[in-house]
Amino acid sequence: MLGFELIKSSKTCYSIYKTRSMREVTIPLPLVKENEQVEIQVNVGKKRKIEHYKIDSFQWECEDELSRGNDATSISLARISRLKKLIESYDKSWELIQIFAPLENSEFIRVLYRKKE
Amino acid sequence: MLKTKNLVKIFRSDEIETTALNNVNLDISEGEFVAIMGPSGCGKSTLLNILGLLDDATSGEIYFRDIEVSKFSERNRTKLRKANVGFVFQSFNLIDELSVYENVELPLLYLNTPSTERKKKVLEVLDYMQIAHRKKHFPQQLSGGQQQRVAVARAVVTNPKLILADEPTGNLDSVNGEDVMNLLTLLNKQGTTIVMVTHSPTDAEKAHRVIQLFDGYIVTESVKKV
Repeated sequence: MLGFELIKSSKTCYSIYKTRSMREVTIPLPLVKENEQVEIQVNVGKKRKIEHYKIDSFQWECEDELSRGNDATSISLARISRLKKLIESYDKSWELIQIFAPLENSEFIRVLYRKKE
Repeated sequence: MLKTKNLVKIFRSDEIETTALNNVNLDISEGEFVAIMGPSGCGKSTLLNILGLLDDATSGEIYFRDIEVSKFSERNRTKLRKANVGFVFQSFNLIDELSVYENVELPLLYLNTPSTERKKKVLEVLDYMQIAHRKKHFPQQLSGGQQQRVAVARAVVTNPKLILADEPTGNLDSVNGEDVMNLLTLLNKQGTTIVMVTHSPTDAEKAHRVIQLFDGYIVTESVKKV
């Protein structure tokens, strides 16, 4: 049963509201070049955590791969199909975090990865 | 619990035809927490609205608990939504003319829940959301975080099996955002299936599975170790 009573009786819900903390910290970074890694070290109390991020750029232009015409649907299909392949074959020690929308007429699409722990 | 087959959504105006969703195939299990990510305009909210039967797909099928629901009449869709689905929106979508109590009571009124039971449920949920002290206030008198708590209260007061959340932390500061995410996580742990659209990688980390949508296509899915 998905019951409200069940949830209400949970002791954790009260601790959740009590343990408020900062969720995100925004750090302005200089322009990251292709395949350059960003290393972020965070110390919380005595705990140290290091995160590695990388923005990769994949080819977005796909004129050479168009086999079924150059209408918007064919272009979109060709792009997505290649993006899927590139993501699938990417180094498995990195996990995909976010795909950024490419600017109009841009040749590349940028994808944010984080090193797996 | 929720399955789509070759879901396509095309928006047509006089001159332009925009394909928002392209052959989307999804299979969401009971009790799962799924995040849908992708850049603005990639079709995330369109997908969520179609999954919640708030909008029609141009073609394709939607199954809710193995029943094909995409061809349901408006009457049956409403019935299914009222009994099974809770919605949480980025802009809260509370009714300004109704008090906090009345906003949360509304889904129970639609379900013809008896008055005594209604009162009990509303007060319980408001108490749980730690917003009971504001029950007589109107949405405009509350902060964004408080409004979203009321919106979540409204979404869960009927004990829905499925919660569809569209950018639930999008208009909140980090502290209130975390509260809402903790709440959704807790509801999921209690068995509620959650499908959440988000731009936030931090919020997506709470989900069991992250689906990346791009130009209306599912580009990739990643399953988290739970």
